[in-house]
Amino acid sequence: MNFWDTITGNDLTREWKAIEARAALLPADYRAAWEQIKGHLFIYGDFTGRNLMPIVDSALGLLEETAADGQSIHDVLGDDLAGFCAALAGGEGARTFRDRWREQLNRNVARKLRRLGG
Amino acid sequence: MDDLTEMLKGTLEGCVLQIIGAEETYGYAITRRLNDLGFADVVEGTVYTILLRLEKKGLVQVTKRPSELGPPRKFYALNDEGRRQLAAFWAKWEYITTRIDRLKEGGR
Repeated sequence: MNFWDTITGNDLTREWKAIEARAALLPADYRAAWEQIKGHLFIYGDFTGRNLMPIVDSALGLLEETAADGQSIHDVLGDDLAGFCAALAGGEGARTFRDRWREQLNRNVARKLRRLGG
Repeated sequence: MDDLTEMLKGTLEGCVLQIIGAEETYGYAITRRLNDLGFADVVEGTVYTILLRLEKKGLVQVTKRPSELGPPRKFYALNDEGRRQLAAFWAKWEYITTRIDRLKEGGR
């Protein structure tokens, strides 16, 4: 990855294009699940989403393999898509949006408490 | 049996290690094996996230092999560290079950 790509995220755009092109080949119910998976995974992303790329790639890999087997998407992922995505992203990308929001909240609460003389 | 998933959570990783330890295998086959054992709620997504975790912990050796149809499959085999973890799992399992059995039988 060269400096220009790092700054602009050009390489990410390219990678996303390649990934979406792969996803477009999936059966319809798989594509629907894919859209949801992206939504669930987004909250685990860092600022650029770079940390998500390997996760997204492996999730898509699973969908490709299982679709080729002719399994239904329900047989593959069950009912708990959010849980699946959390498990996928687990441990990866320690500093996510959510952590930052939580920190911010804690800081604000602490500041308000101090002001109250607590 | 319903709602086994919660109870299974901590042990499923050990089960998957055991299955891989018996022979090199892939996600779909592992899921079917667990289903055949009676764990009907276990779906491939569950197994897949466990496999990723095992891979990240460096307990398995992963080989990509072409399949007849579609993209190549990932095959998993235990490495030395994986075999150590598997032995540790059975030791812990033994510890828990003997104590819970004792509790059930009313002993101390």
